[in-house]
Amino acid sequence: MGLLTNILLAPFLGPVWGTRWTLEKVDRVVREELTDDTRIKEDLMALQLQLEMGEIDDDEYVRREAEIMKRFREVREWREKFGMSTSGGPVRVAESDEPE
Amino acid sequence: MTAAESASAATESTPLEGKYVYCIIRNDRSREFGEIGIGSGARVYTVTHKDLSAVVSDTPIVIYDPTRENVLAHEFVNETVMREFTLIPMSFGTIFRSENDVRALLNSTYQAFTDVLDKMQDKIEFGLKILWDRDSVVAAIERDNDEIRRLKDEITRNAASSTYFARMQLGRLVEAAMEEAGNRYVNDIHEQLKEVSVASRSSKVIGDRMILNAAFLVERKDEKSFDDKVKAISLQYEELLTFKYTGPWPPYNFVNIKLKLEKAT
Repeated sequence: MGLLTNILLAPFLGPVWGTRWTLEKVDRVVREELTDDTRIKEDLMALQLQLEMGEIDDDEYVRREAEIMKRFREVREWREKFGMSTSGGPVRVAESDEPE
Repeated sequence: MTAAESASAATESTPLEGKYVYCIIRNDRSREFGEIGIGSGARVYTVTHKDLSAVVSDTPIVIYDPTRENVLAHEFVNETVMREFTLIPMSFGTIFRSENDVRALLNSTYQAFTDVLDKMQDKIEFGLKILWDRDSVVAAIERDNDEIRRLKDEITRNAASSTYFARMQLGRLVEAAMEEAGNRYVNDIHEQLKEVSVASRSSKVIGDRMILNAAFLVERKDEKSFDDKVKAISLQYEELLTFKYTGPWPPYNFVNIKLKLEKAT
């Protein structure tokens, strides 16, 4: 499995933190769309595969990777707005009475 | 504080230094792994609690994008550590604010880390992606499947009069035969690799040419046998399938500890 597959799909040691609040006014479906990065991960892995198979060159990879990173950041921003878990960034061990 | 001020404060007195964590190992003394960390080759060292260590490097408190460059840096550290240790990989981008916070993680998750390290002792992971060449597979099917071959010959002979229905029928038969062939290949390959691996996990395939996207957990002592087996299989299927074989990796797909972490503000 490639690097990105490992990093993105593995059942990782991931930071888990709870939903503290939600914006109930926003429709659930819209919210799911804004905060779901499954498709972005798939696109990134497909891109990596293309590079591995020699279908695209490094320059093309870097260019398209930048677009995908932009989408990741957008989703991350939405997830933060909705108080959803995000990976990366500073963390610490949760207090035992913290909700999951 | 303006953005400019906070940036200069960060570079001059580094009050914002965090600890990027790569993995957890069993080790009770201070270790150095060289200047290979994420960012620009930060020093990689250990933060220890009892007989467990986190392998870390200093980093500004930032969110790292999972770019190839960053992911490779993360991976390279784990590969280096793996030469000497059994490790539990941390998820990409995990940063703690201080060594004490890292020790708190080792302390609070001590038992789970210890159990998993025992279970993963001397085991490594290999990745195997298999893609098929549709045209070759279709050709093989037409060669081996009498019904499909007859129907195809018939359609070719009576090109003018052959019905839309007959063509549809052929298409359906080929599709079904391809699915069957794909399953047969994958089962056969899994079966052959079972002898030389401890466990396997399949992930979702990427794109429409991939028929297998799997990880295999292998005893370090069996690395050569696993290697040889994969090579033999890829020769066996040389004309039909393309193999993408990677590793050894840390056991990314075989470790699943949910860490109770929260955002450090």
